[in-house]
Amino acid sequence: MTRHVAIVGAGPSGCFLAQALLKARPDLAVDLIDRLPVPYGLVRYGVAADHQGTKAIARQFARLFERQGARFHGNVEIGRDVPLSALRAAYDAVVLAAGLSGDREPELAGLPLAGVHGAGALTRALYDHPDAGPLPDLGAHPLILGNGNVALDILRLLAKTPEELDGSDLGPRATRWLADSGIETLTIVGRSPAAQARFDPVMVRELGALKGVSITVEAAPPGADDAGEKVLAALAQIDGTATGPRRIAFRFGLTPAGVLGEGGRIVALTVTRPDGVAETLPCTALVTAIGFRGDGSLPTEDGPGLYKAGWFARGPRGTIPENRADAQDLALRILADLDAAPDAPGKSGAAVLDTCRDRVDYAGWGRIDAAELAAAPANRCRQKLDTRAAMLALACRTEETQP
Amino acid sequence: MKLAILYGTETGNAEMLAEDLQSALEADHEVSVANLSDIVPGDLDGETFYLVVCSTYGDGELPASAQPFGAALEAGEPDLSHVHFAIFGLGDSAYPDTYNGGSAVLAAALAQRGATMIGDRVTHDASGPDLAEDLALPWAEAAIAEAATRLGAAA
Repeated sequence: MTRHVAIVGAGPSGCFLAQALLKARPDLAVDLIDRLPVPYGLVRYGVAADHQGTKAIARQFARLFERQGARFHGNVEIGRDVPLSALRAAYDAVVLAAGLSGDREPELAGLPLAGVHGAGALTRALYDHPDAGPLPDLGAHPLILGNGNVALDILRLLAKTPEELDGSDLGPRATRWLADSGIETLTIVGRSPAAQARFDPVMVRELGALKGVSITVEAAPPGADDAGEKVLAALAQIDGTATGPRRIAFRFGLTPAGVLGEGGRIVALTVTRPDGVAETLPCTALVTAIGFRGDGSLPTEDGPGLYKAGWFARGPRGTIPENRADAQDLALRILADLDAAPDAPGKSGAAVLDTCRDRVDYAGWGRIDAAELAAAPANRCRQKLDTRAAMLALACRTEETQP
Repeated sequence: MKLAILYGTETGNAEMLAEDLQSALEADHEVSVANLSDIVPGDLDGETFYLVVCSTYGDGELPASAQPFGAALEAGEPDLSHVHFAIFGLGDSAYPDTYNGGSAVLAAALAQRGATMIGDRVTHDASGPDLAEDLALPWAEAAIAEAATRLGAAA
């Protein structure tokens, strides 16, 4: 009897989970369901446009569908199109791997103000996510709040010259927006001391190779552990980089207190220094990269046959390989649970999705993928379709309606 | 001559490449595949030719699945002077300082214990235009041909 597993969210954690399940049990029916018409989640919309090497893991995930028998069901939102209860009734196991799409909001006196943007929302706008808002005006002096790799990704993108984006999949809108940004200074502010910043040292050093920047790093107090020493060494290495006019300043140990506005728009972030002295950091916009949260559309409690994976399970921490390891552990747990109930009644699986209109299968994604690759201009590797309508027009074209 | 493909992986790309190589080579050879996390240096023998596929992670370091094996080599464990291997690296030139550091570290550690490397270390760039298997299969075939003469008996 075929056992059916539904994974809600076709991002890296869901795909790694499907990979581990099917490697152990090729006879499982594994369905990856995504609310977007396209798979791969953060690999497509979160990993930076200029980190195509990282995005190459999508080749592994393509094999899931091309060789391992997993099925993709895009443009299906659990809770809206199909109730979670119906999904659970139709599958032996349901795994929520929906990620955390919302930006954690800072607790700052003086909010809300115009000019304050979450890193996730900005990233989606940069990378042509179909649900993204317009690209905002950041002015000449944006300030980035956060000390993780998401903050570094945004800093690097904003700092790059147009030529440095060659080979990326950054879309024409974001390309124009960056070229015309007029950014003169980029200040990145962390609450913790430099030695506790959660920067990946290689991503710090990557900034030292930028072609048009002048970098200063605020001196760090001594006393770091090994990981901290690596971050400090990387920061020391890029300090003083002087290849161009765009100034980048790293500031640490500043506790954000509030925001100041004029005419409803942010003009400064107020912080408290380690010595207790207050400081006002003027800015033309604030990008907050201090973590992510769920959008509340899916329950966070486990139940019989209901599991969580990836950031949806562990919170917004951990790299792609850490989530791969988690997914492999979860696969073992799910398989053990399935084996513990050998006489469970047969399930109908993906038939429960048959009522969903405009559902996109893997072949449909293949048409989107091919069209995006074919549309890439000379200095880009892909040009994404940026609306659901455009995606669905390609993906849901059936044999009957094809010219 | 038996072939064993050993892989060190972090995100799964090296594992996928190892499986691709096995598929491509098994028609003509007896080929096994193992994760470096599942073996120790003392398991390596003189009758098998080892095709090592290793990625890079973090700061030019060995990927997670190769780290215990690498640590055992560093700890000065067994003499590998009877062992022959070739090595293929996976890296990303977006990080030029540490590009393909993992395979370089592993090749040096094997050589340090006396193992003989066949052919040059060939590397794939995840940010480059080539597919890893398009570089790795010619690498493997050339290394196997050379190893067959060196190890004596062909498969």
